[in-house]
Amino acid sequence: MIRNYLKIAVRNLLKYKFISFINLFGLSVGLTCCLLITTYILNELSYDRYNKNAENIYRVERTFLNPETKMLSLELGSVAPPFGPLLENDFKEIKKVTRLLPFGTTPLKFEDKIFNEKDVFFADENLFDVFDFKVTRGNPAKALYNPYSVMLTEETAKKYFGNDDPMNKVIRFNNQFDFKVTGIYKSLPPNAHFHPEIMLSFNTLKDTAIYGEKNLKTNWSNNSFLTYLLLPPGYNPKKLEAQFPAFQDRYIRDDGPAKFKTSDFSVLNLKKLTDIHLYSHKDDEVEINGDIKRVYIFSAIALFVLLIACINYMNLSTARSVLRAKEIGVRKVAGARKGELIAQFLSESVFVSCVATILAFALTWSALPWLNDLSGQKLVLGSLLNPYIILVMLLVPFIVGIVAGIYPALFLSSFQPIKVLKGILKVGGANVSFRKVLVVFQFSISIILIIATGIVFQQLHFIQNKSLGFDKNHVLQINNNAGLNDNYQAFKTELLANANIKEVGLSSRVPTGRLLDANGSQINRGDSLAPTKADIKLVRADADFLPAYGIKIVAGRNFYKDTNFDTSSFLINEAAVKALGLKSNEEAIGKQFQYGGRKGTLAGVFNDFHFESLHQRILPVVLFEGTNQGAYGNISIKITGNVPAALAHIERTWKKFLPEIPYQYNFVDERYSKLYDSEKRQGTIFTIFSCIAILIACLGLFGLSAFTITQRIKEIGIRKVLGASVSTIVGLLSKDFLKLVLVAAVIAFPVAWYAMNKWLEDFAYRINIPVWVFIVAACIAAIVAFATISFQAIKAATTNPVKNLRTE
Amino acid sequence: MIRIKNLEKIYRTEDVETVALNKLTFEVKEGEFVAVMGPSGCGKSTLLNILGLLDDPDDGSFLFNGIEVAKFNERKRAELRKRNIGFVFQSFNLIDELTVFENVELPLIYLGIKAPERKQRVEAVLDKMQIMHRRNHYPQQLSGGQQQRVAVARAVVNNPKLILADEPTGNLDSSNGNEVMALLTDLNEQGTTIVMVTHSEHDARYSHRIIRMLDGQTVTENIMV
Repeated sequence: MIRNYLKIAVRNLLKYKFISFINLFGLSVGLTCCLLITTYILNELSYDRYNKNAENIYRVERTFLNPETKMLSLELGSVAPPFGPLLENDFKEIKKVTRLLPFGTTPLKFEDKIFNEKDVFFADENLFDVFDFKVTRGNPAKALYNPYSVMLTEETAKKYFGNDDPMNKVIRFNNQFDFKVTGIYKSLPPNAHFHPEIMLSFNTLKDTAIYGEKNLKTNWSNNSFLTYLLLPPGYNPKKLEAQFPAFQDRYIRDDGPAKFKTSDFSVLNLKKLTDIHLYSHKDDEVEINGDIKRVYIFSAIALFVLLIACINYMNLSTARSVLRAKEIGVRKVAGARKGELIAQFLSESVFVSCVATILAFALTWSALPWLNDLSGQKLVLGSLLNPYIILVMLLVPFIVGIVAGIYPALFLSSFQPIKVLKGILKVGGANVSFRKVLVVFQFSISIILIIATGIVFQQLHFIQNKSLGFDKNHVLQINNNAGLNDNYQAFKTELLANANIKEVGLSSRVPTGRLLDANGSQINRGDSLAPTKADIKLVRADADFLPAYGIKIVAGRNFYKDTNFDTSSFLINEAAVKALGLKSNEEAIGKQFQYGGRKGTLAGVFNDFHFESLHQRILPVVLFEGTNQGAYGNISIKITGNVPAALAHIERTWKKFLPEIPYQYNFVDERYSKLYDSEKRQGTIFTIFSCIAILIACLGLFGLSAFTITQRIKEIGIRKVLGASVSTIVGLLSKDFLKLVLVAAVIAFPVAWYAMNKWLEDFAYRINIPVWVFIVAACIAAIVAFATISFQAIKAATTNPVKNLRTE
Repeated sequence: MIRIKNLEKIYRTEDVETVALNKLTFEVKEGEFVAVMGPSGCGKSTLLNILGLLDDPDDGSFLFNGIEVAKFNERKRAELRKRNIGFVFQSFNLIDELTVFENVELPLIYLGIKAPERKQRVEAVLDKMQIMHRRNHYPQQLSGGQQQRVAVARAVVNNPKLILADEPTGNLDSSNGNEVMALLTDLNEQGTTIVMVTHSEHDARYSHRIIRMLDGQTVTENIMV
């Protein structure tokens, strides 16, 4: 029986090649989208699960609130150093506490090899009791115990030592400290939320030359220590979190405004390790995390594309029913029951979808590297080789086959055999209306995707071209280095000697970075200083910082250039003026001001500019000068004129002053552009998927219109004989379909508007959804549909009518 | 073999009610060859549908081999149909995607007969219909007469007790038509009951009895000599 079904299926596929191509192509591409996105989703969901303790590891996180307004001020995925040991001491249910301190980019040197390393971490000696690392050399229990010990990944060791034994070799750190290699480990897999390539023993931090034991025990304001807890299996972290406010109040005093308890402005919470990648969006994530929203968006898109392909199958199969009607009648007469016919048509669609699944695997395999390039992911097909997934994959052709085939099967099997065989079958009514509903659905999805693509690109364009309040072009950022502390002025003078270099400024942070440092502030009201409710972020900067970025002083003055460190002056932005409750920029000038422990006067107000990405609002910012050269992490250099010449000069100067430190630079405009990488990728992926969706929908429409026109060939003949022109006939044939596109647009508009409004909510600065995008999207859909149909219609309309009438 | 009494079938659309069979009563004995004649729309096809268990009557009684089948559900009707009834149509109704052999094999597949026996039975009947040499051809490669021979082969391959023929010569020239009528007469002589709907007085003469219908009722019965 099955053999007979398959035989008919194969012969039908071969007989109606074009329709078969549309069905197979559509389903294959739809399934490929699904497979690609499944690979992506599986990868996103797999983050950190390779740890055998994954279910019981929690990250301690700290959130700062404005104690008066309870507004969020800062959300951190890391905490101050004393938390770890105190938590372990106070809560017996905590099995282990381990800490890591990301150290930023640091130059490392061995003999003549110097590299800037960016994934350097200080790591607690018990790290391996909590996290799974594959240590290939050294004893994991002891390797991170002694101060000035370092563990390297195999790749890093190879880079410095080649094929030599790396153990016990001494590597120089920032041209200041020597570390001995005590262990080698394999790099963590890509689906980890952090990737330390170099781990320095945490005990090194006890050395006052580096950080100091006292700081480790008492510094509550340096919240950059990643702190992980290992809890007993099945333990409810909420029980611990409930005790955190009292815990904080017990240990932290004098670290905030006097009249508040610590728990009024600082909240500790726990984040499950396996939730970090998809659900955590703190201000200081170790690496850029994924987003569960994106997982949902892409899953929806994949399903939609597959659905469009299934609809093609339904439409074309039911439209073609007239051609199969005789077969159905004969089978019924020969003794087939309705159930057997349903089984036959379902086995046919399952067969088609099996072939499509095989094609889809081949397509996925060849498209994956390309998707990886596009999305910056490291996806592998291997992630599909999990018994559950394989089971689902085996079911997919059946599910898709049944979804696509059930309606045609029910429809076809219900034919009245004698009517069919006598040729008096009328295919119409409910069946045609249902097909129209399906076409409308396909086009609605396509139009939604076109609108989404349009709006994503509009927003990206808006971001790229928004006036930021500063000039990001031709500004070079290089990391400051301790080696310049004593001769920075000489370094700067030498840089400025080149005519192409206009400004050289220092700052603790540069625009395109984040603003994460803040202190409490006081301003004089009446005769004395009174605490303010303002949440003002700080940037340490020198007098050349603002000019380097073309930021204007709108009231008062810049820092004094000639004094070495103008430490009694504060500059604030316009947002800070408002936050301090001052009526005008001018009113701020000359006011007594205290920020953290530093007292002085408000010397100037500079214009608001977008320090952070447009995802963030412009925050109140205060600038003040550091008390020494080491207070600044960044040097910003404004270049005018000949850029290559300037770059060469900067590199020469760097090498002259810092021969031991590798020279590395970033252009601020490139950093700016990188802020929106994820949106740009989303835009590209949207474009690709909407093109695929439209292509498949149009193929379906092409098949359907071809079929409909064949059905009306006699009508066309008669109309032509009666004098209809080609254009009226094309109009007649296209009109019905275009009406459907119009209905689809009406359905798509509110859905797209709602969805894209949600998407734009993530931006503090966003476009208003432009109406023309909707109109253009509908027009694109209509034009593509019209082109598809008119191809067929013109063919039909230009045929000799006598020929058409003879087909009777 | 067939006994119908007061059979009624009414087709309803939104505003029109068409009585296709109006308290129709007649009988067909086992081994008979009956021709049904009448103008278009007189209810011939509806009658054939009901006799072939493809459709159910709205009212009345239909005894098939002594069993009341008028109220049978679709599954039971299909079961009875595939074991007892063969069909021959004016337009042959062969499946274009299947070869001659596969077309004839179809009823046996639905009877659940195993492949070796199917092969034997199909070959036997193709032999009998003198179409064996065409067994691997597709219908469109055959002449009309050959196609109808295949259709007859398919109708008889499961040894039905009853053959329902709907204008079996309507699409054939006279020599091919005569050949097909000869085949049917042969089958009848071997004991198969035949009910044939036809417009052709010539073909009707092959039968034992002619039933003439008008407006869903029988008007006359002629016994042929």
